[in-house]
Amino acid sequence: MKLRTFSALAVVTLMVAAACGSASSKTLKIGITLPLSGGAAADGQPTAKGAQLAVDEANTKGGIGGWKLQVVPLDHAVSGKYNEQQGAQDMRTFANDKAVVGVVGPYNSAVAKVQIPISNDAGLLQCSPANTNEGLTKPEFGALDYRKNFPTRINYIRVATTDDIQGPSMSVYAYNTLGLRKLLIVDDVTTFGKGVADNFQTKWEALGGTTVLRQGANSDTKDFNSILDNPAVAGNPPDGVYYGGVVTSGAGLLLKQLRQKGMTIPFLGPDGIVNGSGADEGSLIKVAGTAESANSYGTIAAIGDFPAKADFTARFTEHFKADSEFKTPGAYSGPAYACATVILKSLEEFLKTNANADEAAIREGVRAYASDPSHTFATVLGNTSFDANGDTTQKIISFYKTDPAAKNGVGDWLFKEQQDFGQVGG
Amino acid sequence: MTALTPEVRPSVLSSVRHARIGPWLFVAAVAAVVFAFIGPAQFMNALTLGAIYALVALGYTMVYGIIELINFAHGDVFMVGAFTSMFVLTNALGQKSPEHDIVRLIFLIVAAMLITMVVMGVLGVLIERFAYRPLRNAPRLAPLITAIGVSYILQNAIQILFGPSPVTSPQLIEPTARVNIMGQEVSWLRIFIILSSIGLMIALQVFVNRTKLGRAMRSTAQDREAAQLMGVDINRTIAATFFIGSALAGAAGVINGLYFGNIQFDLGFQAGLKAFTAAVLGGIGNITGAALGGFIIGFVEVMAGSFGFFVWAQAFVFAVLIITLVFRPAGLFGQQIGERA
Repeated sequence: MKLRTFSALAVVTLMVAAACGSASSKTLKIGITLPLSGGAAADGQPTAKGAQLAVDEANTKGGIGGWKLQVVPLDHAVSGKYNEQQGAQDMRTFANDKAVVGVVGPYNSAVAKVQIPISNDAGLLQCSPANTNEGLTKPEFGALDYRKNFPTRINYIRVATTDDIQGPSMSVYAYNTLGLRKLLIVDDVTTFGKGVADNFQTKWEALGGTTVLRQGANSDTKDFNSILDNPAVAGNPPDGVYYGGVVTSGAGLLLKQLRQKGMTIPFLGPDGIVNGSGADEGSLIKVAGTAESANSYGTIAAIGDFPAKADFTARFTEHFKADSEFKTPGAYSGPAYACATVILKSLEEFLKTNANADEAAIREGVRAYASDPSHTFATVLGNTSFDANGDTTQKIISFYKTDPAAKNGVGDWLFKEQQDFGQVGG
Repeated sequence: MTALTPEVRPSVLSSVRHARIGPWLFVAAVAAVVFAFIGPAQFMNALTLGAIYALVALGYTMVYGIIELINFAHGDVFMVGAFTSMFVLTNALGQKSPEHDIVRLIFLIVAAMLITMVVMGVLGVLIERFAYRPLRNAPRLAPLITAIGVSYILQNAIQILFGPSPVTSPQLIEPTARVNIMGQEVSWLRIFIILSSIGLMIALQVFVNRTKLGRAMRSTAQDREAAQLMGVDINRTIAATFFIGSALAGAAGVINGLYFGNIQFDLGFQAGLKAFTAAVLGGIGNITGAALGGFIIGFVEVMAGSFGFFVWAQAFVFAVLIITLVFRPAGLFGQQIGERA
């Protein structure tokens, strides 16, 4: 008898504990799956806050269709680097929680590879602000492997455009705008890094550029000196270096060691290297050093100069002014805000016609609405819809350059220009 | 050696005369061939990298020699050394950028080296005292697991204190400063690294072979109980071994910070693994072997990169280890010299 009382008590306690997360019974959750700690915080934190801002604003307006919304951020950085296994586990947590109706994230394509099969099985809408690997969505690049069980039930959408655009766009920029001709190309042998470097190199050579050396270097590489002193490089000095990868896999170390050789040539990279100012933990500028980071160029696979940028920046800064760090938007804060907007808008539209739907029906309703190519969303980035594979119709690449004098002398990335590849298709 | 004939310490001259020069000639010949193949720049890369591995490898080999423990925490002592040096230089001495005044430069390097080496030596002694000594007579698996535990404690402590991202470590010697040696631009930084590590290795060799404590270490390594019967204080000798091994790892940590300018909490894992491989390659327990093994691994890595197999560098390192062990199961110097220290 006593034991039974005790176990009943325990059950009640558990239920209270479980309910504690949600303020009322009418709460839906928006998951955030990003690397949020350590060296990856410079990537994840400003991005997560973009999504957080959108949800907080919706709650201030009284929620959606009578539901309150709650953000559930899960961090899949392990020892400061993104971790696929942790990402998969977090996605399972979201899939098993009926109240989660949409997820913002992930940041890294390698994490998306393991998460999409899980969210696809669960029919859970996932919107990535930053994934660019073309193989995640496009069947011709093997995307059907990830949505094997429900290949036509699109649940993964993204507001960033793909590496088959991001890589080549930098080749054109390097060849035409920067006037480079001979490049050393290094990649970090990951889904994202090797993929974007392959795309870059193909276009670069098609333009007539020379690759003095193409070298893979595992993401735990600490010493790049033997690449920089490779006979192919030493005998034919390049006028620029392209790194396909992210800062936690070595972009900062490579840049620093390049400068130590006395080589001040331009350092180019994809969105993986454009991650915050010299004040941010784990940013390229901080790892390589402010002075060393001069003359670096990077792309962002999303619109950099969006129409409502000033307003968005002001709202973001105001909302997070009490935080100790990451108070200003990062390159992917706007896209994350847009992702949350898409989820919230889909939820709103679905609830208009199905006011009494249960959580499972809402999850499916949100997914179906968001992935329907005929729907257009008015986001902070501008109007966007998602094609039959879940890719955004907005194909814009933005170019950034480092400025060591920015941010009171610690250095930051400055927006240079953006190019629209929407007409090219693809 | 029998107990009846008292050991006569050989004079320096006679040690030089009796040194086996055959292996060294072989090493020099191989080095010359490698130099011709990979060119001076890569040769210097390999020497620098090898010097760091070799310094760390010495600690592995000394500890294994004396208590037959694979001290997995040693790589992390190296990492803590790098952070100590960074902390001493930036926080205590306020130096963040290259120093151009030669007197102050020497002062800073000596200060960083001495403080780091002493602090790491003490850390090594503490690790031995509290983690390994209580388990000295336990089954050998117990201290091995303890060593892995200590390794994680050190890693996590540094990760919590300094964060998981690469931390900037001051490069006292301007990395772009070069000197022309026979038509080849060589950076002062590399010259300093190679000379200081070789100096430390020679100092260790002299210490082990020519001092009383060194002799106590060698005798403990040969037969612990017999040494104890002959009046050697075992605990003190083992503590001294840990002190010296860890101090050398600390020196390697200082050098690593000067060379790369970036240090990270997980630095010790890979470096430790390579240094351990170096110690096994050279014949674990043998000091000369460990030093040579470190340089060999540096060269294998750089050569792999030089010939376009950068991604395979680690695989090549272990392939060389396996091939060596197939032909010489005790490592390169494992049998040639009976003594261990």
